[in-house]
Amino acid sequence: MPGVTSDSGEFNSLSIVPHSFDTQAPKVYPLHIHSVTPPLARLSISWARGNALRVCVLQSEDTVQDEKPGGEVVEVKLTNVEGGEIPDAQWRRIAYGSVAPFALLQSRKNSIDTSHYDKDWWEHVMEYIREINSLLGNSKPSVSSMIEDPKTVLKKIEEPTSLKPAWELMEMFYADRQSQTWIPERLLDWLADFDCLFSATQPTVHAKLVAFQEELVTIQAVENDPEYWEVLSSALAVGWLDVVVKLLRLHGSYLFDQLGTREIENGLVEAVALLISQMPRLRLVLPTEKLGECYNTKPEFMKAWEKWRGQITKLDCSAFWLQCDHQQTRVGLKNMLQIMLGNANVLSRVTYHWIELYISHFLYIRPFTVVSATFIIQFPLGLESMYSLAQKCMHLKPISNRHKLMGLLIGILEENTEVVLAECSRSFGPWMITHAIELLTAGSTQAEILLHEERSKIGGICMEELHRLIYAQILSSHAFTWNIAPIYLTSCMKQGLGLLENLLYKQPVQYHQVLLKSIEICRLNGLDDVSCNMMKIAGVHYWKHGKKGSAVFWLQQARDEVRLNRIAKQLYNFVGKSVSDESFKQWEGMIELLGTESKTAGGLEFLKKYRDFRRSLQQVQEGITIDDARKAAEALISLMRNPSTPQQFWLPLLYDSLKLLNWKEGPLLNVSQTNLLLNKLQELSLARLLPGFVDAELPPEALKSVRLALATNLGRAILEEGLNPPGSSRLKEDFLCGISHDSPHARSSKGGTVEPSRMGFIL
Amino acid sequence: MALIPSPKPYSLQIHKLPQYTYIDALRWLPHISTFTRHILLATYDADSSTSSLQTLISSPSQTIPSVALQASVSAPSRIASLKVSPSQLAPSKPLIAAATFSGSVLFYSADLINESLNFEFSVPDKGFHSGAVSGIDLSENGSECVSVGEDGRVNLVSLSGKRDFRRVFDSSGLVSYSSVKWASPVEFVTGAFGFGLHWWDQRKAGGPVALFKNNWTGGIASGIVHSIDIHPSRKHTCLAGGSSGIVVAWDIRWPKQPVMLSGVGAGDAANSLVESDIWEVQYDNYTHSSKIINSSSSRVLPAMICSEDGILAVIEQGEEPVELLAEPCAINSFDIDRQNPSDVICSLEWESIAILTRP
Repeated sequence: MPGVTSDSGEFNSLSIVPHSFDTQAPKVYPLHIHSVTPPLARLSISWARGNALRVCVLQSEDTVQDEKPGGEVVEVKLTNVEGGEIPDAQWRRIAYGSVAPFALLQSRKNSIDTSHYDKDWWEHVMEYIREINSLLGNSKPSVSSMIEDPKTVLKKIEEPTSLKPAWELMEMFYADRQSQTWIPERLLDWLADFDCLFSATQPTVHAKLVAFQEELVTIQAVENDPEYWEVLSSALAVGWLDVVVKLLRLHGSYLFDQLGTREIENGLVEAVALLISQMPRLRLVLPTEKLGECYNTKPEFMKAWEKWRGQITKLDCSAFWLQCDHQQTRVGLKNMLQIMLGNANVLSRVTYHWIELYISHFLYIRPFTVVSATFIIQFPLGLESMYSLAQKCMHLKPISNRHKLMGLLIGILEENTEVVLAECSRSFGPWMITHAIELLTAGSTQAEILLHEERSKIGGICMEELHRLIYAQILSSHAFTWNIAPIYLTSCMKQGLGLLENLLYKQPVQYHQVLLKSIEICRLNGLDDVSCNMMKIAGVHYWKHGKKGSAVFWLQQARDEVRLNRIAKQLYNFVGKSVSDESFKQWEGMIELLGTESKTAGGLEFLKKYRDFRRSLQQVQEGITIDDARKAAEALISLMRNPSTPQQFWLPLLYDSLKLLNWKEGPLLNVSQTNLLLNKLQELSLARLLPGFVDAELPPEALKSVRLALATNLGRAILEEGLNPPGSSRLKEDFLCGISHDSPHARSSKGGTVEPSRMGFIL
Repeated sequence: MALIPSPKPYSLQIHKLPQYTYIDALRWLPHISTFTRHILLATYDADSSTSSLQTLISSPSQTIPSVALQASVSAPSRIASLKVSPSQLAPSKPLIAAATFSGSVLFYSADLINESLNFEFSVPDKGFHSGAVSGIDLSENGSECVSVGEDGRVNLVSLSGKRDFRRVFDSSGLVSYSSVKWASPVEFVTGAFGFGLHWWDQRKAGGPVALFKNNWTGGIASGIVHSIDIHPSRKHTCLAGGSSGIVVAWDIRWPKQPVMLSGVGAGDAANSLVESDIWEVQYDNYTHSSKIINSSSSRVLPAMICSEDGILAVIEQGEEPVELLAEPCAINSFDIDRQNPSDVICSLEWESIAILTRP
């Protein structure tokens, strides 16, 4: 498993379970490049989300063609899991489905402080187990035909995956309180469902049965076939009573034409079949299709069992056997009676691997095995007797090929949580261990201590957190499952949030759906800083790609004034700087985006003011009242006073306002206002000398006409103000006379030539 | 009397069908028979980085509806928006328009009888859109397709005759459009970043004829308009859904009085059914308002929404929202069957679709 290697030392030193690492052979991951062709100049590799690597492939410069991109970014997913028993899409379905039960259990765990042995708590755990179990099952129910074929003894089912039996084993031993009293019967059901999984690696009763069923169609008289009796005994030994009875009824003596001649033989077959179908079983419920008689309590069961055994012994000693002519039938049935009487040798002969033998021992030799008579789970479970029996069976049926389910079962019977964990993680993957931990710790203090103990070897986190982190890492690697990783990461106390931040930053921002999802995850987890940073990243990304609107939107959302200011500087190079410029219309959309309220707009705030000024100026040009003109003049002053107004706009603004400066009815600007504008002009002419100054695209005489207009205005303003305060200086009046004499000329020519020497004198 | 089959159960029926592939968008296709329905899916497979369009066939008559793949064609890029227009001339061959993340719009015709999907043409990439096409809409008669993109361009594709496009507007990236919807044969509405809604009239060139700018959310949040719908019988009212669970109805006749149907600005806590992004809005013809008879035309018709936090619901002005589906994962898109509005399909983020049959 990816991730486990980091603490390989620890696992090896424990070495309860042999754990092999595939570190020997280096692995080759081919790059699937589409648009870039070799030769390649550079490769750059960085981590993408989860276990994926992001590889940038850059072509050498001289081979780059104009229309083709010179580079490409590809993702390479590092994984050890190849193919596997479950296809990827199926895995994802399981991953999706387990999110809700897991999250629900976590939240319930956090809300319940009381003892874990609480009744409600167990109900929650069982609900969780059931929901996860339902995910592992077959999605479609098997279609059963209306007319049952008598020769179909075994129903065809879709091959289950090994996840479900593993989950059910743990459920049976660790969580299901009701089943504790009848674990042997549950194991029997379990084997009946999943014996087929063992068939792949070793002979099993199931495989034998399947093989026989295929032959069945061609066999004329089954009772003459030794295989028939072998299959019967095997199926009986592992307790598949319905199969046995069904097979017995195929016996030739049941045929109408033979009934007369084989009456006694038939009687014996029927007697055995009847006894089998009346077998007492110690369990709570019995599905209708299964045979046997169900007993809930041990005393009742014991009574019934003795009675049943008595009937078998009686039948065994019956005189009818002597009258049975058919030898195979006689031997076969007798053999079956031996099984039911618990003959260990026979049982060992008719079963194939140790679990089958184990089940047969429970059924016929030690029928009274119960784990605990009470309805309260105790840990340790007290499985010593079960474990020693398992060891005995393993001794009788040595394991040639250890199936992963066997490993898990042994671990459970051994009551060794570490082995169970190691088996889960090794054989069933990170998904299983992450979700099984909930089950293991649900009621076991010992397991809880083991799993929640902080370990310095793995960076101070506990085993539970380690496994969740590994699982989250795997989820993060896929484009579809990364967004469920946060559920697991947030349940990790120590390193979860850090990794979550990491994961969010690794998301590609160019897809705005992914970005919005990341922001939503931040919102749900209170990661405002992270979402702010992501918006900034997105803003810069869009800006670089020429999507100015989106860029401004995201930077505004992030309240990033610094970048907005920087953007504004670049942006203003494109803004049409003249009122007559029609292209300004397209900026309306951007201004609208900035909003009306006091939202962060940074340097872009100017755009809004500029728009307002333009509007009022336009009205002035259409020739309206003095009030409008005054308003426009005020807007001009406030724009010019505002430090955020970019320098390259100063002159165009003033040039556009010539009409205001030369307002006929009287000066619109007072002395100090005019001085401000003059100072700005002065500043501008100084700035001109600096490198990097961008000259506005205006007629060459623009500056002159603005200066003249300002000077005229200043004169008029002084005059107007001068009327009130008496005793103005002589010099000033002289100066003013000169101007007022000249001004009509300047006004009429509007942009015509003004002698430079006079301008110099004015300023 | 006893021979009359028992009526359908009077409850909402929901069937989830895993697809084992991501669904970018989905639509109902027009009916050709009463026994079968066709669903159009735009899918994406991350492992092979391939996208495709698929038609599925489903039989609603069965108690448990199942879907089967009918036809599939691969698409050059992921699909950002999908629209279907019934073809007047050949009812079994509806027209499909798909906008891609790579900046093109693809046109297909689905042949529902011969079970095939045929590529018709795609708009030349050069100069069309740069970057993803974020929204498209087919006009009522299927003769024109309007497309908008984050690059700030608004284009009209003519489907009859020359099959070329015409630039309506280019904001050179100053405005990023996210969705579009026809209002009439010559008018359409676009939605943009920053909750911008623009009304366009083809007869008036040079920009939108109306901007809807109202302080929707009281300055609390700004966002993106993800989806717009306009009811064919009330062409002056535009329904828009977007970030922060906001759904607003904007009547062009009273531009200063938007009606908030859901979202942070709606005032009451009762309306905050959804707090995250609303991915799609559609008027819901099936839900009949209890007050429809005495309501004036200013009342907003009921609408269906789907959201990032997994809600599929019907909302109505001044009423409690009716939740149809609440999922642990996002509901990315949905579609109400036009001919049989009791049926709704929606695509769940976790690689499955859900078919809902309302009582």
